[in-house]
Amino acid sequence: MLDGIMTGLTTAVMPFNLFMVVIGCFAGTFIGMLPGLGPISAVALMIPITYGLDPSSGIILMAGVYYGAVFGGSTSSILINAPGCASTVVTSFDGYPLAQQKQAGKALALAAYSSFTGGTIGAIILLFAAPALAQVSLSFQSSDYFALMILGLTAVAAFSGKGQVIKALIMTVFGLMIATVGTDVTSGTTRFTFGSVDLIDGISFLLLAMATFALTEVVMTVLKGQHRDEDEQMDMSQLGSMKLSSEEVKHIAPTVGRSSVFGFLVGVLPGAGATIASFLAYGLERNLASAKEKLKFGKGALRGLAAPESANNAASTGSFVPLLTLGIPGSGTTAIMLGALIAYGIQPGPRLFVDNPDVFWSVIISMYFGNLVLLVLNLPLIPYISRLLVIPRPILIPLILFFSITGVYLVSFNTFDIHMMVLITVIAIFLKLLEFPMAPMLLGFILGGIMENNLSRALTISDGSFSFLWERPLTLSIVIVAAVVLLLPPIIDLITRRKKADKTPGPEAAVSEGEG
Amino acid sequence: MTLTKDHIGGLVFLGLSVAYGYYAGQIPLLPGDEFEPFHAQTVPDALAMLGAILSVALLVTADRTTDKKLSLSGYEFPLVGKLLLLVVIFAIALNWVGFLISTVLFLVGGYWILGERRPKTLITASLPFAVGIWFVLTQLLDIYLAPGRLFAQFFGG
Repeated sequence: MLDGIMTGLTTAVMPFNLFMVVIGCFAGTFIGMLPGLGPISAVALMIPITYGLDPSSGIILMAGVYYGAVFGGSTSSILINAPGCASTVVTSFDGYPLAQQKQAGKALALAAYSSFTGGTIGAIILLFAAPALAQVSLSFQSSDYFALMILGLTAVAAFSGKGQVIKALIMTVFGLMIATVGTDVTSGTTRFTFGSVDLIDGISFLLLAMATFALTEVVMTVLKGQHRDEDEQMDMSQLGSMKLSSEEVKHIAPTVGRSSVFGFLVGVLPGAGATIASFLAYGLERNLASAKEKLKFGKGALRGLAAPESANNAASTGSFVPLLTLGIPGSGTTAIMLGALIAYGIQPGPRLFVDNPDVFWSVIISMYFGNLVLLVLNLPLIPYISRLLVIPRPILIPLILFFSITGVYLVSFNTFDIHMMVLITVIAIFLKLLEFPMAPMLLGFILGGIMENNLSRALTISDGSFSFLWERPLTLSIVIVAAVVLLLPPIIDLITRRKKADKTPGPEAAVSEGEG
Repeated sequence: MTLTKDHIGGLVFLGLSVAYGYYAGQIPLLPGDEFEPFHAQTVPDALAMLGAILSVALLVTADRTTDKKLSLSGYEFPLVGKLLLLVVIFAIALNWVGFLISTVLFLVGGYWILGERRPKTLITASLPFAVGIWFVLTQLLDIYLAPGRLFAQFFGG
């Protein structure tokens, strides 16, 4: 392990890679601050740039952008109550009230310290957890992989929110369907190309990611008329002091420690990610608070700000565990990174640890640097970075559109890809209006090819029988976990509904039923 | 009966799954593949089935409250339509007039559509940016950008 750490350290401290961390954190903070654009869009926008870099530098840049975007999201949550992404929604609960009390500087500093601690604690646990898990997963066979992919896909669907499970599953299947377009690797026949030469290679991951996240998100801000919002300009003169007193530090230290470990554990679960971690950490902290303190939550409680901030950064780090060791992304953002790694010809999973130790370790090591950069460089520069937001939206939006389109065009030099992006964007807007989540589709698309490969191998070995799903204890246990993950939320939902129905008196229940 | 977002989504995906399943049956198989445990149609067939089952499940469990109805008011569809049309024109222009001119046209068009009318801003926010990007791509990164068919026809490419 020490060898690995040294390899990672030498790769990560290369001046170019350090530069990538800094650039990534800055770019991420800026993009993350823009309301509507979150870490997924920020990382997607970086993909074309990383294609010209070597894998380690590319992933380091993306990881920097990821952290930066989460941090940038917190900044806009605190300053203008407009979370840049879902994982910083909770930050605005107590962060924005603090900003209204002219303590924006303190809130930003607290968010940065909490993020730093969360990220660093997460990175330390990752340092030990990832290699351990990678060693275990070296014994995995194709049937186990197939089961793991099923677990990853079902977990993303299961954590997608109340009443959204079926929609998320449908989107996963949709992603898997898109993945079948093009030439079938096992037999060499073309599928769903409808005679088009441009579709023989299938739809590129970059195109799909850019169209569904970068392009669609920007177009959605125009669709909702948000490009006219001029009241979102931040007032940088009222930031106030960025210092925390020693009592305040003592007050929040246990919260930060607890939430970091908790956030990391939630982040490790495939599909859970930073958003759920931040909500759960906030809830946990409120439950632990005294009755007097509980009243402060939502009105500018320091603990209420520190908990989600530590948790979402720790969870961002945690979501790298399944990505690096099993090849299963823990969140939408890591799903994009998985796609980028595959595009580099690197297969994330247990073999990554053995075959590309430089990538594996340098990503982990660069996380420390990333957190440090955010704290030391980004925090003092926030007033300046946020000035970029003063660029009027009518100018900013076409520029982002231009970057997303040319990002795809400059890889393939085929204008068919641009037309395809427009088509996918139209479909994505329609699906978003119908409240279908996008991340499961991308995950299904990315895992589709690998899943089909493993299923093909497992079925061939077992001579066409699905008994491979229960013959190996490991496969069986993963399948059981997947089934539990999938079935538990609807069952809990059903039980709570029954309980509610039992408690509510007859007439009220009749009214609510009548409405349906 | 109220047709909610879930109903529309369910119906669309049911249609998609049926069409997908139909075309999955048209995938050419290699001779003898039908006796193999796994071939090019296996996964598409399973996905079509799964898609149909999930769509029906969505239709059955759909939220029937009126606030879940699809409302298209309050959205700026014409603006988005114009922007997406501009992207399509940009793609066509790339082939005909090359990267530099189509980038300037795209940016000026984009600013204009979103309400920017000052000629000075339109030019300063597009021309230097496009030239800068073009310079970085062609001169620094040494990427070949085709000059566009129109120029190729006049100047022989």
